[in-house]
Amino acid sequence: MNGDRLAISDWERLLATLELVRHSLPRGVTPIILSSLADAGPSPQWGSGFSFVHGPAGRNIALAVGLRAALPHVPLILAMNADSVTLGTNHLIHAARRNVGMTLLLLRSELTRSDASSGQDRTAWDLRGPQVSLEVPARPLEWASALDAALVGRACLDEPAELGALLLRALRKPGFSVLGVTTDRSLATGVLSECDWPEYFDRYREWARPLRENARTRDAPPAPPATARNVPRYEVRIAGVGGHGVKLAGTVLSEAAGFHEGLWATQRGDYGSATRGGPSSVDVVIGSERITYPCADDPDALVVLSQAAADRHAGTLKPGARLVADPAEVTRMPPNAIAVPIAAIAHEHTGKPIAAGVVALGCIAALTDAVRPDSLQRSLAANLPRASLDSNMAACAAGFAATRAALEGVRHG
Amino acid sequence: MSNVSFMHGNEAAAEGAIAAGCRFYAGYPITPSTEIAEILSTRLPEVGGVFVQMEDEIASMAAIIGASLGGVKSATATSGPGFSLMQENLGFAVASEIPCVIINVQRVGPSTGLPTKAAQGDVMQARWGTHGDHPIIVLTPSTVQESFALTVRAFNLAERFRTPVVVLMDAIVAQLKEKVILPERVEMECRTLPQGSAASYKPFAFGEGSVAPLAPFGGEYRYHVTGLLHDEHGFPTEDPEVVARWWQHMNTKLAAHLDEILDWEEEALDDADVAIVAYGGTARAAAHAVSLARSRGVRAGLFKPRTLWPFPEEAVRALSRRVRRIVVAEMNMGQVRLEVERLAAGRVPVEGVHRADGLGIRPEQIVAAVMAPLGRAA
Repeated sequence: MNGDRLAISDWERLLATLELVRHSLPRGVTPIILSSLADAGPSPQWGSGFSFVHGPAGRNIALAVGLRAALPHVPLILAMNADSVTLGTNHLIHAARRNVGMTLLLLRSELTRSDASSGQDRTAWDLRGPQVSLEVPARPLEWASALDAALVGRACLDEPAELGALLLRALRKPGFSVLGVTTDRSLATGVLSECDWPEYFDRYREWARPLRENARTRDAPPAPPATARNVPRYEVRIAGVGGHGVKLAGTVLSEAAGFHEGLWATQRGDYGSATRGGPSSVDVVIGSERITYPCADDPDALVVLSQAAADRHAGTLKPGARLVADPAEVTRMPPNAIAVPIAAIAHEHTGKPIAAGVVALGCIAALTDAVRPDSLQRSLAANLPRASLDSNMAACAAGFAATRAALEGVRHG
Repeated sequence: MSNVSFMHGNEAAAEGAIAAGCRFYAGYPITPSTEIAEILSTRLPEVGGVFVQMEDEIASMAAIIGASLGGVKSATATSGPGFSLMQENLGFAVASEIPCVIINVQRVGPSTGLPTKAAQGDVMQARWGTHGDHPIIVLTPSTVQESFALTVRAFNLAERFRTPVVVLMDAIVAQLKEKVILPERVEMECRTLPQGSAASYKPFAFGEGSVAPLAPFGGEYRYHVTGLLHDEHGFPTEDPEVVARWWQHMNTKLAAHLDEILDWEEEALDDADVAIVAYGGTARAAAHAVSLARSRGVRAGLFKPRTLWPFPEEAVRALSRRVRRIVVAEMNMGQVRLEVERLAAGRVPVEGVHRADGLGIRPEQIVAAVMAPLGRAA
């Protein structure tokens, strides 16, 4: 069927070269061959000088990335043909651009024949049939060169010494290399392009070294106090839109209870796919018993920062629950809502809308003694950058004071 | 000594992986699992491991198989769309018996679905997602503490049985922050090295309920790994006798050790008339429902599987003999309910509480099913 496939397959001829190369490598080094070629399947007939992965077509390149990470010094040789320019193309591109250490042998000359010098005319289709004509051949060697592969070359399958020498050179070159293996003697052979840059995982380990050294000096967090108080299940929901900082508020509140007070607490955010502007809410459940259900379906305290949040959540309060709403945002105030100008307070103290959540924490601290203000402050300090801590503390305190004042107003009014 | 921390399920899974000895992670970030990748991208280099963001989930799965073959414990994390892409190479890991851990944080599917919303729709995909019959282990956590513990366990089971293990989390647990107590050390299954000579090494020895030690690639033990059905040396074969022995090996390697693999929790079942079967994030609503139902005079209890596959069949069969009704609550349209129905075999009515609209199941929904008059459903 194929002119250059006579009595023995490409694979068997290649194997002779691989054996040659193996004997040129240092003792104890066992190259790993990866291939999905049908006739390259592991077989007891051939030498035991290699380890062999007969992986899924094209995927061997990605598999080799993991092998290289685990085994920095073992030669990885991938024997591929059509799978390099079909299933494996994406993997080839990324292994090449990262310079992950492996050597691809691209078998079947028709895949490597085409190069820029051939002057192929993309407009003059061969009309013998769509399979051979309607596309120009893939050019994996040129792709690899364009991606600055460490070494790109070509050798003849019928010249084992030449192919072996080129393969050895590719294996010794740090990084990603591709060799076209052809039976077409008219094509240029030898090194076609070379690029000197570090192998990916070598560079990764170098980059990681300071991280390792710093990690050793990291302090363990202080142990939280054992809980002494009896706090019945208390559900809090803060609801607004993305950009209000409700998730951070939930973290601060739940850690204040769960970490700084020694209670049990959960925090669950509910948000959409958009980072800003979509509905965003957080549920915090606090208690001295372990929290099973982490949602505040019927909150004891609800803070709404937008009209949409008020419409969606204000209807599910349990009897005796408290609702705080920002009258500047919520124009249709729910009955019994405590009006606190949360956005204005956030703006006054921090200049940023994202502090609304922190103001809401102050509101909640004014409504319940499940979490004490000093725990809230410690949790704020642990969760906010130092530069913005003072302004956020002030915003939180202002939310607390405004809520207390509004409650007093309700009481005396 | 242990550390009290406050973290979400994704962070606990990442810490569990580190504690269990994972030193290679390849992944492609996807909501709602992204924090696992984010955390491991800094934690792994701190402990001498490697983190790689791959081009896609197909490559991620391939890379963790490669690293594991190289002797390094490896994991990836994803959500439904990525888990679908991983099925091809997951099958390769099953067939070639390469240990690895896949954390799938479920979101609503099919396809892109509801990216940020919780679901439990991948239960059957985790069991049968890759083609062909195959053994698999799937664990599912319902608390942040369990997210840590079951991730550790996943690595241990993967090594012990030379199999991929799926940690099937859901966005409720993954995104939930709560208190965890991280032990200073965890029990760790280390890879055993072959005892005999390299020449006599059978990397895929057919055991009745046992697996051969997996020698790391690149050393003196040279062998062949293939996704084709193979003999004990890893050479492909179509010999029906050898293939039959391969199947016997694969079918017994987990089945002979169910007592080691199966894990579930029972709560208030001793005197229960109604058992709620729930797992993952839904088990938390179910636990709340148990106390609500009891406060209203119905003796309910909770059966919470932590191992989903192999399914705890005998335990559920026994459960169907102890109670008068079973309610299965899950964020899908009935994937575990069908298993429970099969095992209850008509002894008691099995009723499902299902939703897959992105909203978690509420305790009151479960209570309503628990309180419904007995004998109505059949």
